[in-house]
Amino acid sequence: MTVAEAVVAGLRGPELGRRLASLLGPEKVLWRPEDLQLYEYDGAVDTATPDAVVLPNGTADVASLARFCSEHHVPIVPRGAGTGLSGGAIPVFGGVVVSFARMNRIFEIDAANLRAVAQPGVINLHLSTAAAPYGLHFVPDPSSQKACTLGGNVAENSGGPHTLAYGVTTDHVTGLEVVLSDGTIVRLGGKALEDEGYDLVGAFVGCEGTLGMVTEMTLKLTPLPEDKRTIMAAFPDMDQASEAVSAIIGAGIVPAAIELMDQLATEAVEAAVGAGYPLDAGGILLAEVDGVREGLDDQRERIETICREHGATTVRVATTALDRERLWAGRKGAFAAMGRLTPDYYVQDGVIPRTRLPAILRLVRDVGERYGLRIANVFHAGDGNLHPLILFDMSHGPDELRRVQEAGFEILEACVAAGGSLTGEHGVGMEKNCYMPLQFGPADLAAMERLRSAWDPAGLMNPGKLFPTPSRCAEFDLRKRRS
Amino acid sequence: MTSPALRPADAAACAVALAEAARDGRTVRVRGAGTKSYLGELVGTDSVLETTAIAGIVDHVPADLTVTVRAGTSFADLQAALRERGQFLPLDPPHADGATLGGIVAANSNGFSRLRYGGVRHLLIGTVAALVDGTVMRAGGRVVKNVAGYDLNKLLIGSLGTLGVVTETTWKVLPLPKARALTVARCATAADAFAIADALVRTPLRPSALVVDGTRRAWAAIVAAQGEPAAVGRAMDEAGRAAARGGARSDRTDDDEQVLAPLRDLPGTATDGALVRASLPLAAQASFVAAALGLEPFARCVADAGSGIVRIHLRGDDGAVLRAADTLMAGARSVGCSARVERRDDALRDRLASWGPAPGGDFLMRRIREAFDPARTLEPARSIVR
Repeated sequence: MTVAEAVVAGLRGPELGRRLASLLGPEKVLWRPEDLQLYEYDGAVDTATPDAVVLPNGTADVASLARFCSEHHVPIVPRGAGTGLSGGAIPVFGGVVVSFARMNRIFEIDAANLRAVAQPGVINLHLSTAAAPYGLHFVPDPSSQKACTLGGNVAENSGGPHTLAYGVTTDHVTGLEVVLSDGTIVRLGGKALEDEGYDLVGAFVGCEGTLGMVTEMTLKLTPLPEDKRTIMAAFPDMDQASEAVSAIIGAGIVPAAIELMDQLATEAVEAAVGAGYPLDAGGILLAEVDGVREGLDDQRERIETICREHGATTVRVATTALDRERLWAGRKGAFAAMGRLTPDYYVQDGVIPRTRLPAILRLVRDVGERYGLRIANVFHAGDGNLHPLILFDMSHGPDELRRVQEAGFEILEACVAAGGSLTGEHGVGMEKNCYMPLQFGPADLAAMERLRSAWDPAGLMNPGKLFPTPSRCAEFDLRKRRS
Repeated sequence: MTSPALRPADAAACAVALAEAARDGRTVRVRGAGTKSYLGELVGTDSVLETTAIAGIVDHVPADLTVTVRAGTSFADLQAALRERGQFLPLDPPHADGATLGGIVAANSNGFSRLRYGGVRHLLIGTVAALVDGTVMRAGGRVVKNVAGYDLNKLLIGSLGTLGVVTETTWKVLPLPKARALTVARCATAADAFAIADALVRTPLRPSALVVDGTRRAWAAIVAAQGEPAAVGRAMDEAGRAAARGGARSDRTDDDEQVLAPLRDLPGTATDGALVRASLPLAAQASFVAAALGLEPFARCVADAGSGIVRIHLRGDDGAVLRAADTLMAGARSVGCSARVERRDDALRDRLASWGPAPGGDFLMRRIREAFDPARTLEPARSIVR
C-alpha cells in the first residue's frame, strides 16, 4: 500500500470556488484572483496559488467541504495563521485552502480538570491569557505565539523555548475532533489522559495536515510556576557557550529553557529590540529556571558558576519581570529582527544530540564561508534544536535562493549524520520532503505511508507534503548527490 | 496451548520469524518477561515470540541524557546501569523488577511518576520494530526533539504487540534526584483524600506522586516529591498543610518506595476478583470511586490522582464483581472516558471481557491494524483493536 501521487485531475479553477460558494454560502468562500493572493505564501519561501479559499464557521462546514472535495477530487490544504516555516500551508497541487481564522473560540477553560477546549483558529497566546486568571497556562510557546494558531501548533507539533522541561505540543493534547478527507467527523480521546486502543491523538499531532483537519481540541493546562530566574551570559565565542549548555544540563539542572544566539543574531536583535545583550560577545546564552521559589536561587548560582567556569565575560540575572521580558523579547523577536540585516532569510531547524553542538556550529560557519553567505544562529540549545538563519536577497533571483537551499541542505545532512533529525519543530512540509530519505529508510517511510492511507486513502489531505513525491523530488536524487 | 517459542537474537531475525509466520498463516504471541500476561484477551496462538534474547544497552551518552537499549533488556538492569552513571529513567511501572522495556512500551506501563516526568509517552524518543512484512521500521531517533514525519513511537505505545515487535528503544533519562520524600495523610473519607490531592495538583509543586489509596474504612492521600532538596521540603510542607486544612493527620518519611511500591504493584498482586482500571478527568475521580464502593463495598481503590488513573480492586462474590465491573466500564465510556478490566481471576475470564465499549476512532484503529498486519498474525485477539 502506498500513498497515491497527488490528485491532479478534478474540479479546479473559478468553477470550484463558485460551487463551494453555493454549497457553503458566498461569505465563506474566496475565489477571485486578488483574494487568493494572500494565501499563496506562508512563513517559508515557497509559493503556490489555491483555486479557492474556504473560511468555515464550524465543524459542519468543514465536513461539507471535505465531502465535496472528496467527490470532486480536490486537494485540501488546512491553514492556521500561515506562520509555518516549512511551506505546510502552500497548495502545491492547487485545490482548496481551508483557513481556520473564523473558528477561533475557546469553548471552555476547565480549571478543575486542567484542560481547555478550543477551536483550531485560536491564537496560541490567547489561550494562556484566558487561562492565567486560574493560575494556569498552555506550555508550548513558539516564537510566533502572538500570531500562530493552536490548530497549526497541533498540525506541526510546535515547540518553543519553554518546551525543554515541559514538553512540546504532543505532550499537551489529550483530545481532538478531526474531519477526515471523506467528511467523516471523528472524536479521539477527551479530557482524560488516555483512551483505549491506539494513541490516535499522538499519531495525529505533527501530521502537518496530511491526515485530516482538526476542528476542536482538548489541551492540557499547566499551573504557572511560582517564580523564575532568567540568566543572560555572554561568551567570547560559541564553542564556549555551547559547552556551558552541556555542562549545565550535565550538572543535573533541567532549566525551563536554554537558548543560544551568535554575534550576528545579537547584532540584529540589539538594533531592533535593544534587549541589552553585549554586542562584543561571540555567543549569548539565555537560561531560565522556574518552579517553586525554594531552590531557584541555588540553581541560578550553579548556572552562573558554570558559565563563568566556561569563560563567560558577563553574567546578568533579571531582577524584575520587566528585565526578564526584555531579555526574552530579544530571543522571541530574533527572526523578525533579521530584517535589520537582510531583505530575506531562510531558516532551518535541524536537531543534533546536544554534545555535538560545538562541532555542528563550526560546520555551519564553514558552510557559510564556502557559499559566501552570512548565517546567523539563534536556537534552542537545551534540546539541540538549531536555527541557522541564512541571510540572502530574493531579488537577486532564483540562483541565489538555490545556493541558499544548497547550503541549508549541507547543514541538515550533517545533522542527520550526527544522529539527529531534519526538523525539531518547523516540520517537513514541502521544504524538506525530498530530504526525508536522508533520515528514513524505505521500511520507515512505508510504515508512515500505511498510517497516512488509513486516514486519507484518497490522498487529498495536503498532498505534496512530508513524503517525497516523484514529480517534485525527481531532480533531487539523493543517491546521485552522495556519489 | 503450549506453543513453540521463537527467540530471535536481533531485529532482523525477528522480522524474518514474523514474515515466516505470516506466510504460513501462523499466529504469534509476543512476550517479553511475561510479567503482564494477564492483560487483554488471551486466545491460544501457534507460537510465542520471546524478545528476551534481544537484550543489552546499545548506547548511553550521559551528557546527552539519552539511552538506547534493546527491547528485551529488563527495566531493572537498565536502571542499575544508569544508576552507576548517576542517572535514571524516570518511569516507575508495575513489575519493575521483572518487566522488559519492550513490554513496558507495548503495554504503555506507567506508574505515579508520570505526573512529574511524563511517562512512556513523553520519555520514549525512538523505537525500532520488526514488522510482519519482514521489514524493520525505525521511528523517532536519538534526539529529544524531532518532528520529521509521523510520530510512529506513539502508535507502538500501548499497541500490545498488534502492529509489530518492538526490538529497540531510545529514552530521555535524567540525573538522579538529590532528595526525595513522601507524606501520608490519613483521611476519614475518599472525598477528603481526593480534596488534598486536588489542592496539590494545581500548584507549581510538581509532585512525583499524588496517590489516593483506600477501602471503605480508611483512606490516605499520599504526596511524594523528588528533586532539589529545598523544593522537596517545600512540597512536603505544603502537603502537611493541605492535610491539616482537611483535618487529616500526616506523617513524613524519606523512604518513599516502602509506601509506593505495593500501591504501584497492585496489578501484580490483585490475583483474585477483578481489577478495573479507568482513565478519567481529574474531577471525575472522587465520584467514580464513590460509585464503585456503592456497587461493591469491599472494593479497594488506588488512584493515581494527579493523572486520573483509578484502579478499583473488586473482591466480593463473583456476581457482584461482574456487575460492578460492567457498570463501571459502561459508566466511564458514557461520560467520555474509558475503563478496562486490567486483570481478573482465571475463573472469571470467560464471563468478564477485558475491554469496554469501543473508543472513538475505532474504525481508524482497525484500518491501521489492517495496514500493518493484514493476516492478524500478531496477538490476534488480545487488544481492543482486532
